[in-house]
Amino acid sequence: MKSRAHRFKENAAASLANPVLQANLRTAKGKFVDKRAIAIKELDDFEATREAAKDIRNRVLEHLDLWLEKFEEVACARGAKVLWAKDGEEVCRLVVEIGKQHGVKKAVKSKSMLSEEAGLNQALEAAGIRPVETDLGEYILQINDNEPPSHIIAPVVHKSLDEVADLFAKTHKTPRKTDIPALTREAREVLREHFLSAEMGISGGNFLIAETGSVALVTNEGNGRMVTTLPRVHVVITGIEKVIPTLEDLATLMRLLPRSATGQSISNYVSLLTGVKAAGESDGPEHLYFILVDSGRAGLVGSEFQDMLRCIRCGACMNHCPVYQTIGGQAYGWGYPGPMGSVLTPLYTGLENALDLPHAATLCNQCGVVCPVKIPLPDLLRRLREKQLENHLRPWFERMALKAWAWVAERPSLYALATRFGVRYLAWLAGGQKSIPLLGIAPGWTQGRDFPAPEGKTFRELYRARSR
Amino acid sequence: MTSREDILARLRARLNRSEANAAAARAALEATLAAKAIGPRPAIDTQKSALAGRLIEKSLAQSSTVDCVASLAEAPAAVARYLATNGLPAQAVVWPALAALDWAGVGLAIQARGAVDADRVGITGCFCAIAETGTLMLCSGPATPATVSLLPETHIALVPASRIVPAMEEAFALARAELGALPRAVNFVSGPSRTGDIEQTIVLGAHGPSRVHLLLIEGA
Ligand code: SF4
Repeated sequence: MKSRAHRFKENAAASLANPVLQANLRTAKGKFVDKRAIAIKELDDFEATREAAKDIRNRVLEHLDLWLEKFEEVACARGAKVLWAKDGEEVCRLVVEIGKQHGVKKAVKSKSMLSEEAGLNQALEAAGIRPVETDLGEYILQINDNEPPSHIIAPVVHKSLDEVADLFAKTHKTPRKTDIPALTREAREVLREHFLSAEMGISGGNFLIAETGSVALVTNEGNGRMVTTLPRVHVVITGIEKVIPTLEDLATLMRLLPRSATGQSISNYVSLLTGVKAAGESDGPEHLYFILVDSGRAGLVGSEFQDMLRCIRCGACMNHCPVYQTIGGQAYGWGYPGPMGSVLTPLYTGLENALDLPHAATLCNQCGVVCPVKIPLPDLLRRLREKQLENHLRPWFERMALKAWAWVAERPSLYALATRFGVRYLAWLAGGQKSIPLLGIAPGWTQGRDFPAPEGKTFRELYRARSR
Repeated sequence: MTSREDILARLRARLNRSEANAAAARAALEATLAAKAIGPRPAIDTQKSALAGRLIEKSLAQSSTVDCVASLAEAPAAVARYLATNGLPAQAVVWPALAALDWAGVGLAIQARGAVDADRVGITGCFCAIAETGTLMLCSGPATPATVSLLPETHIALVPASRIVPAMEEAFALARAELGALPRAVNFVSGPSRTGDIEQTIVLGAHGPSRVHLLLIEGA
C-alpha cells in the first residue's frame, strides 16, 4: 500500500467537505466507546490488567532476539516453516514463491495488516494468484476497486448501507437489497465458494506464542477459522513484535483486546494454530508457514519509540480520538489511522513522508488513557514533533515563528505586553460577540469553526486582580 | 547475509546483546516459560453449580441457546427435539468421537466424519467449557474434526458439567495435563459467528454457524 500520508491536509479537507462521509462518521460515533466502557467494568481490576499486559509485552521486547529464536525453534519442531522478511517487498516475494511451489491459483485472506502494508494483493495478482479478502469489511473494500480501509478493526466504518447495497448489486449482479442480514448472507454465499476452492489461506496473527509455537487469531466472523482450516497451505504474516511468552499471557491479553476493540467480553472465535495436519485428520493445512516481518520494527527496539511496539491493534485510541472522529481514517493516508497511525506511519515510512501526522492531534490524552497496553501516545507524538525540528523538517516560517515566540516568552514583561495587546485586539475584532467568524491573520483556523473571542483581559491580569 | 540473520543481528545490536548477557537473558526467558504466571483476573465462584450457572448466563448473552439433560444417554433425544423445534432435518454430521451414542434410536440419521459444505447440522463435544466468558474450547483431531463446528449453519455442542472450568487459565492447564502438547487447532467458540461491519449492526451467521446450541450434560 502506497502511503498518501504526505497529503494529509488535502485528505483531511476533502473528508471534512464530504457530506456522505460526515454523516457516516456521525452514525458510527460513540458506539465502540460506549460498549467498551461497559465491558471493562466486568474486570475487577482493569488497571492492574493493563499494567500486567504492558509488562508481558515489555518483557518480550527487552529480549526480542531471544524470544524470536525461541518461537522459531518451537514452531519448527511442530512442523511449521519459519521465514523472515526485511520489508514488504520480501513478504510479497516469499508469498508468491510459496504459492507457485504449491500450485496455488487462489488465496483466501483473513485480515492481515501487514499484507496491506506490503501491497501483497497486487503482487499476488501480478503472479497469477487471485487474492480474495474474506473479512466482510475487507471484502467490501476489495470489490470497491481496492479502496483503503478507514479503521483497523472496522475497515468500512466510513461506508453507509446504501453504498454497500449499490456495490453488491453491481459486483454480484443481484437485485439491490438494503437489508443488512440479506447483504451479509449474500457475502457468506459468495465467499463460501472461495473458501472451498482456494488452495492457500493467508492470515495475520494477533499473537505468536513462544511456549507452544502457535499463532493466535481473533475473529468474529469465522473467516479466520475458514482460512486456516480448509486450504492445504496456510501462510501467517506477522510483525516480529507479536511474540508473547505463554498461554497464560494470552489469557491476560484476551481479557483486554476484545473489550478495548469492540466492547465484547470475548470475540466469537479465538483460534490457536500449531503445526500442520496430523495423521488421520480430515482437515487442516498440510503446510504451515510463518513469515516474520521487520519493516521498520527492529529499528524501534531499544529506541525512544519502543513503547509503540507493545500495540495490540485494538483500535481504542482511534475510537476515542476527536481528530479521527472528525476526519475518518482514510485521511491519514496509510493502513494505520488515528493516534497509533500518527506514530507508526512516520516511523515506518519515514518522518519526511508524514510530516503532518504527529500534529494531527490535540494531545488530549484520551488515547493514552484507553490504550490497553499503556502506550503513552501523546508523548510519542510530541517526541516525533521534536524529531522533525531536530532533523530540520519543519518549514522556515514555522521555525522562525517559534524562535520569535521563544524570544518573547523569555522576557516576561514583553510577553505580558504582547498578550495584553493580543487579547484586546481580538476582543475588538469580535465587536462584542462571543466569537470571531473570520480571522484575518489565520483564515484557515476559522474555515471550519469560529474562533472564541477573549473577553478583554489576559489570564495573568485576571489572576493578579483576583489574588489581591 | 540472509534476512533472518540480518534482522536478528540488528536486534542484537540494538539490545546490546553479548555472549555474557545472553546466558542470563536466556535463563530469564526459560524461567518465564516455566513460571506460567497468571495475571489479574475477575473473581469467579468455582462451585460446580455456580460454574454451570455462569456458563449458561454468558452463553445466552452471546446469543447461544442452552438446554440441559441428566446424562449422556439422553443427549440424542434432546438433539432430536431441538432439530424438530427449529424445523431442521433429522440428520447431522457428528464428531467420530460421539458416534457410539444411540442416534438411530431417536430417529436421527448421523454421519460420523468431518463436515462438508452441504451439511446443515454439526454435533460436537468439547474439550472443556469456560465459565468466565461462556466459551467452548474445541480441540482438533481425527475423532474431533474442526469443520463440524464451522461449516454447518447449526452447531450443537455437548458439554459435560464436569468439564466446565472457571477461565482460560484452567483450560490451558487441563490441556497440558491431558494432551501434553496443543493439538493442531484449538478453537475457542463463544456464540454464533457474527459481523458488525455494515453500519455496526450486528448480524449473526457471518461465515461460521448462525446458531450455537449448548447441551449441558449434568451427570457427565
Ligand atoms: S496504540 Fe493502544 S489503543 Fe491504539 S491500537 Fe494500539 S493497543 Fe490499541
